[in-house]
This record gives sequence, structure tokens and C-alpha cells, in this order.
Amino acid sequence: MKRFDTAKLAMSVFIASEAVFFAFLIAAYVYYYGAVVQGPRASNSLDPPRTLIFTVCLLSSSATLWRAERHLAAAHNRAFRLWLGATILLGALFIFGQALEYTGLIAKSITPARNLFGATFFTLTGFHGLHVLCGLISLSVVLVLAFMRSFGPREISGLGAVSMYWHFVDAVWIVIFSLVYVTVWI
Amino acid sequence: MSDVPITPGLLDADFPAPSESRWLEWVATVDHKRIGILYLVTTLFFFCLGGIEALLIRVQLAWPGNSFLSPEMYNQIFTMHGTTMVFLVVVPLLLGLANYLTPLMIGASDMALPRLNAFSFWVFLFGGVLLYFSFVSGHAPSAGWFSYAPLSEKGFSTRYGLDYWALALLGIGVGTIATAINLIVTIVNLRTEGLTIRRLPLFVWMVFVNSFLIIFALPALNASLVMLLIDRQLNAHFFTQLGGGSPILWQHYFWSFGHPEVYIMVLPAFGIISEVIPVFSRKPIFGYGFVAASTVAIALLSIGVWAHHMFAVGLGHAWDYAFGASSLLIAVPTGVKVFNWIATMWGGSIRFTTSMLFAIAFLFTFTIGGLSGVTFATVPIDWQVTDSYYVVAHMHYVLFGGTLFGVMAGIYYWFPKMSGRLLSERWGAVHFWLMFIGFHLTFFIQHFLGLDGMPRRVYTYPDHPGWAMMNLTSTIGAFVIGISVLVLLTNIVVSLRGGEPAGDNPWNAWTLEWATTSPPPEHNFDAVPPVHGPRPLWDLAHPQGERA
Amino acid sequence: MHVSVFSPASPQATELLWLWNVCMWVCGFILAAVTLPILYIVVRYRRHGENEPPQIAGNKRLEIVWTIIPLALVGFLFVLSIRTARAVDHHVSREPDVVVTGHQWWWEVAYPAANAITANEIHLPVGRDMLIGIEAADVIHDFWVPRLGRKIDAIPGRRNFVWIRAEQPGDYEGACAEYCGAQHAWMRFRVVAQLPAAYDSWLTAQAAAAITPASGDAKLGQTRFGELTCANCHNIRGINKQKQYGPDLTHIASRKMLAAERLENTPGNLKNWLRQPNIIKPNCEMPDLKLSDGDLTVLTALLESLK
Repeated sequence: MKRFDTAKLAMSVFIASEAVFFAFLIAAYVYYYGAVVQGPRASNSLDPPRTLIFTVCLLSSSATLWRAERHLAAAHNRAFRLWLGATILLGALFIFGQALEYTGLIAKSITPARNLFGATFFTLTGFHGLHVLCGLISLSVVLVLAFMRSFGPREISGLGAVSMYWHFVDAVWIVIFSLVYVTVWI
Repeated sequence: MSDVPITPGLLDADFPAPSESRWLEWVATVDHKRIGILYLVTTLFFFCLGGIEALLIRVQLAWPGNSFLSPEMYNQIFTMHGTTMVFLVVVPLLLGLANYLTPLMIGASDMALPRLNAFSFWVFLFGGVLLYFSFVSGHAPSAGWFSYAPLSEKGFSTRYGLDYWALALLGIGVGTIATAINLIVTIVNLRTEGLTIRRLPLFVWMVFVNSFLIIFALPALNASLVMLLIDRQLNAHFFTQLGGGSPILWQHYFWSFGHPEVYIMVLPAFGIISEVIPVFSRKPIFGYGFVAASTVAIALLSIGVWAHHMFAVGLGHAWDYAFGASSLLIAVPTGVKVFNWIATMWGGSIRFTTSMLFAIAFLFTFTIGGLSGVTFATVPIDWQVTDSYYVVAHMHYVLFGGTLFGVMAGIYYWFPKMSGRLLSERWGAVHFWLMFIGFHLTFFIQHFLGLDGMPRRVYTYPDHPGWAMMNLTSTIGAFVIGISVLVLLTNIVVSLRGGEPAGDNPWNAWTLEWATTSPPPEHNFDAVPPVHGPRPLWDLAHPQGERA
Repeated sequence: MHVSVFSPASPQATELLWLWNVCMWVCGFILAAVTLPILYIVVRYRRHGENEPPQIAGNKRLEIVWTIIPLALVGFLFVLSIRTARAVDHHVSREPDVVVTGHQWWWEVAYPAANAITANEIHLPVGRDMLIGIEAADVIHDFWVPRLGRKIDAIPGRRNFVWIRAEQPGDYEGACAEYCGAQHAWMRFRVVAQLPAAYDSWLTAQAAAAITPASGDAKLGQTRFGELTCANCHNIRGINKQKQYGPDLTHIASRKMLAAERLENTPGNLKNWLRQPNIIKPNCEMPDLKLSDGDLTVLTALLESLK
């Protein structure tokens, strides 16, 4: 007797474990935040306004994914694929923004080796970026499947799980963006 | 027994389909029973490796000034022994049993996510191979199984052993988390009609709670490992004081994983004991509610005791008192379970099968280990005995005398279900007595070595009065254990081929796994019995009688 | 020489042993409460026949009792632990008398007030509360003298403290108690407790610079000490002035042991150590300098003169 959707239940538990993982990385960032009093640190090395643009991309991708799911539920398959594609595009833009930021920092020789800001910043945002990348891959797989066949309850359930993951990744970014960028911007 | 049809055993050519290659079946399987057996066989193999490492350690320590192993090699061996036993034996062994038994005990036909299940096993095996590959790379890790910084950092551990260690543990951690997810979803979703949470067999309940503990603890380990790898490979300074980092942060982070981990290593064993003792006492578990609730209490408290591994760090009295209090507190739900198990036996009709012998030995031995734990939680005592052979004794009393004795009870109990054949009770008794005596001979005396001032993790020691004799005794005990393991392995191999047929329910037990053939068919049940209480088969046999 | 927790030689160690003894009574009681019923059950309730016993499934009152009692016992232990902790580990409000720094794999011992530095052998005056500061130069070590007090980690970048008051003159062995790499096993040390007068004269002698040898092999040794790379790692105050990476040798001949308790300090052992440190203590930081017999003789003579 199935009481809950298997895919979504499994994903919820997985998300819980990932939340713990990020909590520990965030704690390290916070713990070492005050230790860096000179040299490159958040307040003098980051570009919050530019990052805000890419943040908007990522957060919008949650909205587009939500729309995509609504269309799928109403059997608007073409609209579903369009909005899903938009989600992937927006997510890719976010990754592009991260890459831009990373290359900029590395050019100024701000790396994990440089100081504790470098170490904690790259670790935290790096693992977040890796999670976004995995999400993008998963969403792309769904998109390819959407072109190959029509979606039944199993596919919808799977998409529901992927969608939970994507929203989680966005939520983590809200926390990271607030903690790392907004606190030194305002 | 003579008219019971002999159900196909594991090694019979007919089981399952004779058409496919047997090796391919095992490699490609997504059947939880097969995967469970893969775990059991693999962990038994790693147990032998870890055991050989232990024997090497004990030979080196048999007398002072021994040069059987170089210091360098000794340090790798003890690191690998600990890492192997914790990550490649105890946890996957328990999860392997959980894998095999959980669907059967809840009346399901498989785990909720069979392919994830297979993935979990193979990534665990890959991690194990990666860890042992470090020997081939020229230098296994040698910073101890918990790799304290800064010793574990590039400046002090220049070879690649620690990188293999971290990567292997990451892989194993991923597999463990995946299994925990699978178990949670399976137990929530796939219970048969009538099997409410309050009627769950205690083994399943403990596995369930344990899985949540894994979800909390293993990601903490993964975070610590990636930070260590980033330190080592990208020259960051998370844990090196020279770059502004904190070696103590490693300890906080690692033990945030490490302490829940020791409960992860014991809760399923508590579950095994909670199944075995009632059946061989012919009574239901005494105080099901208390035992189940205390499990949750242990899980919750275990997240708040980690700094009791750090009482010698000098964190300050506030830390010491707070964690001393929580650590003393956690002894209570752990301890009362022992009384529940004893009360289960009281007034019962005890059958001294090998499984029951190990369960009773568990009660006695684990209590000693738990009590030495209480001495550690009494903080000033920790200030004398931590990091000495006293703590080596403590950890082996709870993990070997506790968990492993529980696992032995489980092996003798469920081997018939898995294979269709009984293990020899006569050789089981030989195994039991050798292992019991060998264990206490090896480890009891180590309490005194520690109290006498012998630190842990030393490749040799000065010739102080009594130290040579105590160490030699411990070494002899270790070889007795080794012999007992050979007896067990022989028993397993011989019984697989020609042991007495088990039948569906050789122990007259009451949970659902006994309501199908031994071994079960691929889909587990032809028909799941109705469930109206925690002991479905008892209820079936006593329709008007006492409800469990 | 007894190392044990059970032979306390200081009020701190005595307090710790007292707590241990109380705890043993509590644990003994609980162990008996577990073992005796098991023994009784094993005899009394052996299976006879096929009848199933009464299916008693619980007794809430009993369970409450056997929860409350252990709770009370651990509460009792907790209260006692606070009492002992405060007795052993009281507040630090002054500079330490001795500063001990853990290195891989030896102990640097400094007396800041007297400006004395030695290695692996700590002298304390009997009957005085001594405050020892504990530091580390590389990885985490741990300072442990079971007969005199608690153990405490030596952590790089941080100073910990331990109070010790030795009540009797004598030698008390200590060991590093935190795995610190290849030669953790031989990172031992000793505390020598002396009557105050003897301690004072020891400290004065340790603070003094070395008496440069007048003639003979020792004098040749002094020359070779400077010519070979010894002086790069080891300091002999009065002969060279160098940041030290290895143990201070100014008064090495006054110490009882060599290489952190690895060898007794005799001329033969010292010469052997100089010849092949990496054989006696594999992986130690002192390299095999492949010294000639002649060099070995004169260097040993030099070091033996450094009383």
C-alpha cells in the first residue's frame, strides 16, 4: 500500500541530507567570517549587483518550472516543453554568471588557497554550483524524454521529484546570496 | 522436519532461473535479497581484512620493543583497521541485514527503489576498493581512522593515503545515505495492510530511526571530507592553524558525524536483539513502547553529545559540563533497554540456541562497554583515561561485544531464512565460546593497560611492570577470536552445502519474514498473512488466545 | 617505575582517583543488577517442554522505576564530576611557571621566569602548585602524567593549562596521548619532583649557559658541532645562538634519558644515537648524518660535558 509518492518522498529525504551538508558548509563560512580582517574578503571582492542579476535568473527558473508543471498537468505538452526549456536556459545563465564571477576572482588571485574567505566562499558557492549543474542535467534529461514520449503518471512523478530538487537548490541560493552578498552590500 | 519439502538453497543450480549466467545475475541484480547477501559477503570479507590487521597489531604489541612491523607500517595498519571496521564492516553489515530483512518483515516484495539499492552497494564496494588501493599507491592513510588535523594535512601527511581515505569515505557515505533514503521510503510506503507504525517489528523500527540518524550524520562527514580535500589539494586552510584555520573545527565537524555514527553502528544491533530474545524466550518483548521510544531518545540525544570526544582539548568548563551532562543522559535510554531485554527473558522458556547465546553475551558485554562509557561521561575521569588503552577497551566492548555479538545472533537467526539451511548448532557453540572467551581475554585487560598509563596508537611501549604480560594476554585472546571466526566461516560454507533444511519457520518465530519459504521466492510472499498486532504469526497460531 | 592512575602522587590525581572509585561503585552496582538476573534466568527459566509461558508484555511502573534509578545515578555522577573538575582544574589567573611545547616527537620545556630551556625532562618543586602551560609547534599532541594529573591537549596556536602539585620527590613518567605521527609511541617524558632547595639549584644550573670545554675531545667536539650541521637545529647556549628546531642541548648531560625516554642517557647510548638516530627512532626528524667514528667520539665527549 503506497502512502506517499515514492519519488517525492525519496527526494524529500535526500533534500534533508543535502540541507545538512550545506548547513555545515555555511557554518564554516560564518565561523571564519570574522577571521579575515585584511586582504580580499566579501566586502571588497564581490559584485553583489551583478550577482543579483544572475540570482534573478535562477529564482525565475523556479517560477518557469512551476509553470511548466502546471502546463503538463493540463496536458499542454508544447507549452510544458517550452517552459521547461526556459527553466534550463535560466539555470544555465546562472551557471554562466558563476563562471564569470569565478574567473574574475581567480584573475585577481583570489582562490581557495589565498585566505579563509577564498576557501569558504569557493567551497560554499562551488558546491552550490555543482548542485545546480546536476539539476540542469536532470532537467535536460526530462526535456529530452518529453520530446521522445508522452508523459504518464510515472514521468509526472519523476518530474515532481526533480522539481523539488530544483526549488531546494534555489532556496539554498537565497540563503547563500543573503549571507555572502547582501550582508556586505547594504 | 522430515516431511518438510526442501526448498531451493542459495547454491542450488535451479535457483533462480538456470538460463542466465550466475555471475551476471549477481552483478546485475536489483533484488534486495541478493543485494543484502552481496553486502553480507563483502562485509564478511572486509571483516577478515580488518581482523588480519588487528592480528598484525597484536603481534607487534605482544612484547615491548618488538620490530615485527615498522612504525610506519604499524601506523598505516591501525588506521586501516579502524577505517575498515567502522566504514567497511559494521555499518554496511547492518545495512545489508536491513536490506535483506526490511521488505520481508513488512510484507513487501522489494525495497521501494531497487536500482538505487544496487547503486548503493556498488558505490560502497568501489569506496572499499579505493581505500585499499592506497596500499598499492605506496602508502595507506596513517593518521588514524578519524584523521585529526593538522596531522592529516598535506604538511604532515605528504603521501596520497589520506586523499584515498577521504575519497573512499565520500563514496561509502553516498552509498550509506542512499540506503537510508531507500529504507525510509520503503518503511513508510510499503508496509502491508494492518502493519501500522506501532506494530513494526523492533528491528524495522530501529532501522527506521537509524536511517534518519544517517541522514543527519553522513552529510556532516561529507562536508568535513570535502573541506579536508580542499585543504590538501587546493591549499586552503580550513583546518591548518598556520593559515588562520582551526584544527579544532575538524574535531567538531568530524565528531558531529562521528558520534551519531557510533549509534548508527549499534541501533540495528539493538533491533536484532529485540527480535532474537523474545523468540528464544517464548515471550513478547517486555515494554515495546519503552524500547521504541528510548530509541528515538537515543537518536535525538546522540546529536548533542559530540564534544565528549574532546574533553581533553581544553574547550572550557562550560563545554565540558554541558556535554558531560548530555553524555550521562544518553546512557539512560541505552541502559533501560537492557532491563527490558532481561525482563523479556524473565519468566520465559529459554532456548539456548547459538543465536540466543550471543544475545545473552551481548547483554553482559554491552553493559560493561556502556558502563565504561559512563565513566568517560564523568568528565574528570575522561581526563585520565581518554586516548589510552582504556578507551580502546571501551570502544571494542560496545562495538564488538555489543554490535558484533548482536550481528552474530542475527546471523545464526536469519541464516536459515536466507539459505534454507540451518547452521550447525554444535559448531555454533564452539564459535560462541571461543569468541566470547577470546573477546574478553583480548579486551578486558586493556582497561587495566589504559589505567596503568599506556596510550593508544603506539607501535610499542616501555617495559613497565605488567605491561608485557597484559599485552601478550591480549594478543593471545585476539588469536582465539581469529580461530572462532574460522569456525564461523567453516560453519557457513559447510552448512550452505549440506546443512539441515530449515523450513519456513525453524524457530517458531512470529514476524512476517517467517511466513514465507526459506529462502523466499523472488517476489517474497505468495500471500502475506493478515496483520493485527506486532506478532502476526503468533496471532494466527493463537486466534482466541493471548494477544501479543 | 609505576605510571598508573592508581598511584596518585598529587592532590589532582588523588581527586581524579577518588571520583573513579565512586564511579566504580555505581557501575559495579549496575553491572550486578544486570548480571545477577541473567545468571538467575539462565538457570531458572531453561526451556522445559513445549508450553508457552505467560505472555507478559510489560509493566509501566517497573519501567518507570528502572528509568528513574539510572537517571538519579547519572545525576549523582554529574554533580560529583563538577566538584572534581573544579578541584583539579581551577582558574588560571597568572603566567605559567613552566611552558611545555610539543614537537614531533619531543617536548620542549621552558621556565620563562628563569630563562631556562631544556627538553623531555620537567623538574618541579615538591609541595608547590605549579601551573604548566601546554603548547604545540606542529600537530596536536597531549600532555599526560597519570600519577600527577589530568591530560590536556597541546594544540598549535593555542595555550592550554594544567595544574600539578607533586607531593613526593620522585620521577613520574608521562607520555604524549594524542596520536601525532610516526614516533608518537616514543614521545614520552618524565616529571622529576624535587625538594625545593634541590629544584632551585637545578633551575639555576639549567638557566646558566654551557661551560665551554677547555680541552681534549670535548673541545674538538665543540668545533665539529659548529662545522657539521648540528648547530642548524640544536642550541647550546654559550656556544651558539640559534632558533632551535630540535631539543636544546645546553645541559643534555644532566638529563636521565635520551630521545624522549627512548634510551637511557649513557655515553654508549648517546654515541649510538648520533650514529643512527633513524634506526633507533625511525622517521624522527634527526637525519642520519653518517658521522665518522672520530666525529662520533668527539661529539659524544662534547655532549657528555654539558652537565
